[in-house]
Amino acid sequence: MGYRLSRTDKVHAALLAVCGAVLVCAYWVAFYHSNLTLPESVLHPDKPGHDPFALVYMGFESAFPLADLLVAVAASLAAFYLIGRDAKAVLFGLIGSGALGFLALIDISFNLHHGLYALLLRDTGMQLELVINVACVAGAFWSIWRFWGHPLRRADDRAHPERAL
Amino acid sequence: MTTLLAYSHLFAGLGLGAFTEAGARVMRIGRYRSFAFAFLNIVITFGVVQGLLVGWVIGGRLSLVSIAPVLFMVGAVVGILVEGLNGYWWRAWSWSDKPLFGIERPIDKAAFIGVVWGFAPILTVMLARMAVVRGLEF
Repeated sequence: MGYRLSRTDKVHAALLAVCGAVLVCAYWVAFYHSNLTLPESVLHPDKPGHDPFALVYMGFESAFPLADLLVAVAASLAAFYLIGRDAKAVLFGLIGSGALGFLALIDISFNLHHGLYALLLRDTGMQLELVINVACVAGAFWSIWRFWGHPLRRADDRAHPERAL
Repeated sequence: MTTLLAYSHLFAGLGLGAFTEAGARVMRIGRYRSFAFAFLNIVITFGVVQGLLVGWVIGGRLSLVSIAPVLFMVGAVVGILVEGLNGYWWRAWSWSDKPLFGIERPIDKAAFIGVVWGFAPILTVMLARMAVVRGLEF
């Protein structure tokens, strides 16, 4: 408990709790209860009910909640341990941020391969998707970078100098 | 039917809460500062939040198989928040010295139980549907 939380730590914990956990939950609640997150081409396909792309898109998106569960839980635990000034914040922070970055890159890859970013100018669902993609990648890598050099991890390094070769 | 299902989620949450807290007391996992906090935890966290708001509002009308990951996600995030609020500010309950599934430190016990809270809305939805309409799609 000797470590004192910096202002950046407090911001980091808030970002983990709000963006990594609460907003991920909110996205999936919106996905199942509204059309807010869906692109126009899926909402209004050429052949409703039989459009192959709409079926592929919905199948792809429906595979994410279980994986996002890991992100939301790990991010919550990272925030929980960071507020408690415990070194496990680094462990859960790296797990959650790594998982978030991985899932964001898969999503971006899918959108690129299917030309979905080309719909950006006329599709509010895709505009939201782009904002989420950019925020997830930027947030995940910033969080990984920050946890990697975090004093709580350095403290563990210093506590075990025998590990050094 | 809708009102009946909403009530059934509330009561399923309350029942689950009472059962869980009784089990925790028997196993001597922790101790409440006063009985009022145990009562509030059962009514507010189990009944209203996990049962009615998470279980019913988010998962009440959808197939449990498809919505279960979202229910667990929201239940666990709420659970970790509740454990964090208690551990850092409220101090309504504290952990006994007895290890919990091999976990010894109070902060780790709180984190573990926070994640286990994720099962609360799933169990609530299952219990509520079993109580009201056995034919509903699982």
